[in-house]
Order: sequence, then structure tokens, then C-alpha cells
Amino acid sequence: MEKIANFFKTFLLLELVKGMALTGRHFFARKITVQFPEEKTPQGFRFRGLHALRRYANDEERCIGCKLCEAVCPALAIHIETEERTDGTRRTTRYDIDLVKCIFCGLCEEACPVDAIVETRILEYHGEKRGDLYYTKPMLLAVGEKYEEQIAKDKALDAKYR
Amino acid sequence: MINIEIDGKHIEVENGCSVIDAADRLGIYIPHFCYHKKLSIAANCRMCLVQIEKAPKPLPACATPVAEGMKVFTASEQAVKAQKGVMEFLLINHPLDCPICDQGGECELQDLAVGYGGSASRYSEEKRVVLHKDIGPLVAAEEMSRCINCTRCVRFGTEIGGATELGQAFRGEHAEIMAFMSDTVDSELSGNMIDLCPVGALTSKPFRYSARTWELSRRKSISPHDSLGSNLAVQVKNNHVMRVLPIENEDINECWLSDKDRFSYEGLNSTERLTKPMIKQGGKWLEVEWQVALEYVTNGLRQIVHKAGAEHIGALATPHSTLEELYLLQKLVRGLGSHNVDFRLRQSDFSADSKQTGAPWLGMAVADINHVDRFLLVGSFLRKDHPLLASRVRQATKKGAQVNLIHATDDDLLMPLANKEIVPPTEMTTVLAQVLKALAITKQATLDTSVQEAVQSVTLSASAQAMADSLASGERVAILLGNFAQQHPQASQLQLLAQHIAALCGATFGFLGEAANSVGGYLAQAVPFVGTAHGMNASTMLAAPRKAYILLNVEAELDTHNPQQALAAMNAADMVVALSAYKHHATEYADVLLPIAPFTETSGTFVSSEGRAQSFKGTVQPSGEARPAWKVLRVLGNMLNISGFDYNNSETVRDEALGSADVSAKLGNILHGMTAQATTWNVAELQRVSDVPIYAADAIVRRAASLQKTRDAATPRALMHSVELTKLNLKPGEMVKLTQGHGSARLTIIADDSLPHGIVRVAAGHAITAELGAMFGDIMVDRA
Repeated sequence: MEKIANFFKTFLLLELVKGMALTGRHFFARKITVQFPEEKTPQGFRFRGLHALRRYANDEERCIGCKLCEAVCPALAIHIETEERTDGTRRTTRYDIDLVKCIFCGLCEEACPVDAIVETRILEYHGEKRGDLYYTKPMLLAVGEKYEEQIAKDKALDAKYR
Repeated sequence: MINIEIDGKHIEVENGCSVIDAADRLGIYIPHFCYHKKLSIAANCRMCLVQIEKAPKPLPACATPVAEGMKVFTASEQAVKAQKGVMEFLLINHPLDCPICDQGGECELQDLAVGYGGSASRYSEEKRVVLHKDIGPLVAAEEMSRCINCTRCVRFGTEIGGATELGQAFRGEHAEIMAFMSDTVDSELSGNMIDLCPVGALTSKPFRYSARTWELSRRKSISPHDSLGSNLAVQVKNNHVMRVLPIENEDINECWLSDKDRFSYEGLNSTERLTKPMIKQGGKWLEVEWQVALEYVTNGLRQIVHKAGAEHIGALATPHSTLEELYLLQKLVRGLGSHNVDFRLRQSDFSADSKQTGAPWLGMAVADINHVDRFLLVGSFLRKDHPLLASRVRQATKKGAQVNLIHATDDDLLMPLANKEIVPPTEMTTVLAQVLKALAITKQATLDTSVQEAVQSVTLSASAQAMADSLASGERVAILLGNFAQQHPQASQLQLLAQHIAALCGATFGFLGEAANSVGGYLAQAVPFVGTAHGMNASTMLAAPRKAYILLNVEAELDTHNPQQALAAMNAADMVVALSAYKHHATEYADVLLPIAPFTETSGTFVSSEGRAQSFKGTVQPSGEARPAWKVLRVLGNMLNISGFDYNNSETVRDEALGSADVSAKLGNILHGMTAQATTWNVAELQRVSDVPIYAADAIVRRAASLQKTRDAATPRALMHSVELTKLNLKPGEMVKLTQGHGSARLTIIADDSLPHGIVRVAAGHAITAELGAMFGDIMVDRA
């Protein structure tokens, strides 16, 4: 029986018909192409985009310089230097993320005990020359300040899963 | 011997051994906090609870001695439950904020909580708060809430440091660790408390919050400070020395480190570091290329040799320089035709030169000090000059050793002294002669002719007799000559008398070397006498100024016996070449400054006072354009066309200098052909006695910022007996003007009734006393 079926398959081009049927189905289906940048795809609250350093409501930096993010970073993209501030707490004097090295795995955010370093929903950032994507502490803090509202909202959504 | 079984493994241990020790020998780890192999047993953390067959409750492994047939289970259900319970109790009051804590990543509590604790806290009530304390510039007690009251720091102070500087006050819930004797911890061994603290309660102040332990790479090195040769783990990040920790070596530093070794690394990163070669042109310092500087030096030296003769070249080095540096320096100077090279800068009596059988050394192994039962310490600020050696002597006294001290000052050694004789330096030989006389009478021995005359003339005092009795009753006797005895104007007399005392009571006799390479300098032949040739020693070289000086690591006004004379000689010289890691006062008198690398940036060898040659490699790259001094000297040798300077690495230099690794044949303390003299030198009404303060002893510690904030580094004051003060109509606390020769210094005067009459104690090695003259000798005191 199988032999007969194979015999007919050799000249009836059944696979071709199947393939064309798939093409045909997509040809008439609703298009999912998004007209970026006018249109945008929906993002989850755990989206891992550009990094930000956050502050507390009283303007104090959250980061305590524990260096867990630096230690966990698989791409060695984070560089931190710390010192004792006059009030006796440890604070960073440098907090750099090389976005060229970063693989956006989110481990830094995962490791942070104070939710200081976060990955925002921003994905449309760019650099025009070498070094533009080397983000320093003031740059990261600026990102945090600008998008704090969104970040806080996203963190609240994620909180119940932690 | 006792047979026990731990986790099914059999072991035979000696009676009295604790369960935790027995388990350790089997390689079974029992978690613990308060237990430490070098400290007494406290058994207060309860972390080491184990199940023992037939015992109704779990027992602490550290405080349970083994018994025949004992069966121990370290991981049974009962043991694990007990350990988990203890851990929960410990964490009740311990803050759970490891990311903030400086100990995070190297914390025993953190590790054991992961290994033996629960996964979450059930405690929701308020935690205990203990206020932070300021206990000095080295140890941070900023987070005392983290303390788990293991009392390791307290026991360390009492048992190893010699004083209970930290103690536990109050009881139960209110128990807390605080400074007991004063507000601060001033021990010269205080840094070890940081290592001992299993949590983040005591941390290092200079290192605090600057790096995390996992970022640091660990490189081996050897301490360049005292003559013990402590093994160091230099921790490095980004080519920067971040901190220094001990490497355990039972024969040398055990698991300890003195504060000087531990915190001096701050001096390496000092802003005073010299990073470019410099030449003085028309009174102004110019930064130049190495080639230019070296050509300037070679031309200058050639001209002086040509015009004035090679004997007008003198070389001085500190005993903190490496063996390789010292060897190449002397080879360079000898290659130029001069024998004027010396490293014994603070020594004043050189009459023992070439009468000695070898390089003066400790006379025994450092580890043997623990087993000595009678000590005679001659002229030693033991605690400050040799902190860890002092701790070994202290351990010996705990086992019943008697310590006899002959010295000019009565500083507290924090150990019981059997006999002490505090006399002016002029009388130290007399006291030694008395002890020798008393011993000879006790032992009914006839004395050697070389000392007979000196001994006959002295009359016996009671304390000398007591010392002699103490020494004669010992089985293992050690006579140790300290830094003060080596700097003493009659150093060789003291040595000769000590040698004969040692011979009479079968003692080992030796020197507590002043610096890391006090023995190495002799082995490197950085001394003016080699074979039949005799050059000028450190003292004569400065007394009769030379035309050119090569200084290796030397700060002329701080590192020499007579700073006044040294500065005069430097100022009078036509050319002074200073090889230094720092830009210091040499800018006033030098013509060329060559930046060289301190011990962390070069490879080298130090020969410790017990004759142990320890080589080390560089841990970081030299700062700026600084280069290892052995390389600089090698190139200078090449440029001066001196043969035999084609070394490619420091190991070849070391092998040439030492011959073989075993240097014991080259050591020897015995003097030949010297006669003891009964006479002493004439003194005026007041004479000076000098110590070199612990944190002023070498260039690196002088620049270690935190050490300079300690009490030991406070501005020196002049000390006198109160009777002498009233004689001069001075009040304690007044400013006085001290005058020696044509220089003077203004210091506060303090009464110290433990000093002998006629003595003014003034520190050397400090900028404030740099205008004074010799460390011993006449001095005048006037109201300022």
C-alpha cells in the first residue's frame, strides 16, 4: 500500500501544493508587521532595555555600592568604585555600564538588594561614536530620574512574583 | 593516646585534645565562631555543637576533651538540628543586610548561615542595637550591632597582645564589646582583631568600603619593616595595593601581623611618591628622561673619581633595601674603586667590624623563642621594635619563662619581668659586667682574659646577682641585644660581654635585627670591610664629608645616627644621587633624584634576623616611571663600564650574593680579638637617649596615613625624671629647647620617673628632632 502512495507522490508534487497552501494562508491573513517607529509592539513590565540608577523619594541614591551586580555580570560590563561617604555609608564614586558589552540578561537587576539598578523599557537609544554607549553614573541616574514613574509602576507589577 | 571515632572514622589522638581538633585532623569541618586555634577556649558561640554517643544533649566540640571510645557525630540529625537552632539564635540580633556590610563576601557568619542556617528568618520582633564606637584610626567598630559576642578580640588582646584593650561589658542581652583601658585600642598588634572578628563588627578603617574581597587578587610578599620577615598576602586591584593580610607561617609570624606590616601599604600610594627622574639645574628641579638622568649620574661620578679619587665616593643604604639592591650598590661602588659603603646607618660603634665570625643574627630560630625559659634583653624597645617577637616572648613567660631586662627606659613590655635594671646608657656595660661577674662566681668559672680586667673592677649589685641567678637556673637561655644596644656608642662592648655571659650559662646569644635586611646587608657585603680592604663606615663617611654620595632609600636626616652631621655632609657634597621611592627632604641637598620601586613593585630578597632568606616577586607595576632599584643599579654599572653587571633578573643577583640558599655558614655573633674596657665615656650633666618610634622607622611607614594618626605616632615629646625637671626649674608640659651641637628642637617636656636621672629621652627618626645631633650623647635643655 505504502509503495503505491509513494509512487503517486513522485509525480503529483504534493509537497509543493502543501507549501503553497501555507504561503497562500499567510498571504490573505491579517498582517502583523509593525510600522516602527510610528507603531510599537507591546512590552512586558519585565522588559530589559536601557539601564537606570534609581533614587529614593528623598533624592538619596539607592545604590549602596555592594558590587553584587558587578560580581554577577556575565559580560563584565559593570565597573564600580566605592568609598566611605562622610556620613559613614558606602557610596559609589564610579558606576559605569558599558552597553556595548552588556547582553541585557537582567542579572544585575536580579542581584540588586535595593532595586537601584534596573533595566527600563527603553530600547531606542543609540551612540554615534565610540564611547557613546559607555554609560556613567550621572547618565544612569539621569535615565532613572526621567523614567522613575514608569520604573516604579513596573516594579510594583513585578513585586508579587518575588 | 586515646582512640575515638568521628563520623565513623577512627583516629588516635593525645589525651586532652578537643573534639574539634581531632575532627580537624581527620579533615572533618565542624562549624565554629569563637574557637580559634591560637586562643583559649571560650565555648560561648555554641556553633560547634555535635552529638556524642551516650551524652544526653549535644556538646560543644571545642570545649569537650576526647575520651576513650568516644563516638562523635558531626552531621547527625541531633547535631544538625542543634547547629541550625544556634544559627537562628545568632541571626536574631544580627542585621540581615550583608550587601551593606564591609565584611560581606569574607564573613564567617554569612558562610555558615548559608551552610548551616535556615532559609528564612522567623523573627519579626525588634533587634538589639549596639552603638558604634570610635576605637582608634586602625580598627573600625562602626557596626557593633553585628557583633555575635564571640570574644575573640577580647581574648586576643589579653592573651596575645598582652593587655585587655577590648572587653565585654554588661550581661546577657546588654553584653557589648567596648574599649576597656582607654577610649582607643593602641596595641601594635591591633589589626589582628580585624582578621579574628568572624563578622563585620571590627573592620579595617583604612580599607573600609574601598573594595570587595572577591575583586582582589592575592599576591605573596615579605614584610620590609622589622627583621622578622613576616609573610604577607598583598591584595591588589587595578594595579593598586588595596590591603595587606598575613599568610600563615608557623615558623615566623604564625597567623598574626603587626600593624606596621598590615597598614603600611598606605604609604605606597602616598602623594609623595617620586614618579619621574629629576635633576637639579640652577637650583630648580627638572623632570627628565631616565637616559638623561643616568648619564648625568655617570658623568658626575666619573668626574669625581677622576678629580678627587674614588675614595671620595660614599654609598649609604637603609637596611630596608632588598639584598639585591644592597649587593649591586656595593658592587657598583667597589667597581668605582671605593669601599665606602654601609647600610648600618643608625649604628655608631663600628669597632666590631671584621672581628666578627659572620653576620650578626638572632642566634636561633624565631620559633625557638617560645621554648626559651630565661631571657636577658639588653637595650630593646621590644614591643615597639619587634611586635610579634615580643608576643612570642610573652607566650614564653606564660609557660614560666623569666625575662631580665637591662635598658635605659622602662617602657611597659606587657609581660612580667623577673628582674630589670634601668640605667643610663653609660652604665649598661657596667651592669652587664656585674652580671658576668656574678655568673662567674656562681659557676666558679675563670673568665677569659679579654673580659677579666673589665669585670674585676665592678662591684656587684643585688639586681645583677638576681639576674645572674635567674640566668644560671635556666635550661634554655637566650640573650638578646635589641636595637638600642646596637645603636649604643659601646655596642661592641655590650656584644662582647653578652657573648661571655652566654658562654657561661650555655645560652644562645643574638641580635634582634633593626630592619628587614639587617642580616642581608652583611651577606650582600654592603659593609666597608670585605677581605683585607677597608673603606669608611656609615659614621666616618659622614664625619669626614665625601665629594659624592649615593643614597639608596635613605632620608639623611631621619635614617641616620647623627642627622645634623648627615645633613652637613650632604650639603657639603658636590654631588648627591638619591635613589628613592619618595620625593622627600633630599630635594634640598641632592642633585639627582632617581625614582625607585618600593617592595611591592620589585622582586627581591630579605634575610630575616634568624637568617632566613625569603625572596618575593613584585605585586604591582611600578608607579609612573619608577623602576626597581636593582635594575637602575645594573644599568648604572653598565654605563660606568664595570664588568659583571649583565644581570637579566634579580634571581641571578641573589644567587651571586648568597651563593646558596643556606646562609647559616655565613652567620656568626662571636667576637674575636676584642678586649672589654672598664671605662665608659665622659658625659655632661644631661645625656640623650633615643628610641626610633615604631611608625617613624622607615620611609614607607612614615607616609602611612592611618598609622600616623595612632598614639604611637604622636609628636615626640622629651621625657625626663621629675627631679631633673625641678633642678632645671621646668614644669611638665612646658615647651623646651633641646640643643645638641649647633642644632636645636622645640618639644614639650614630660616627667617620667621611670627614667634614670641625667637622661633626656628624645625620639629620633622624626622631622621635629632632625636638627639634633647623635642619638646618644650630651644634650642641653632650656626653657623655650
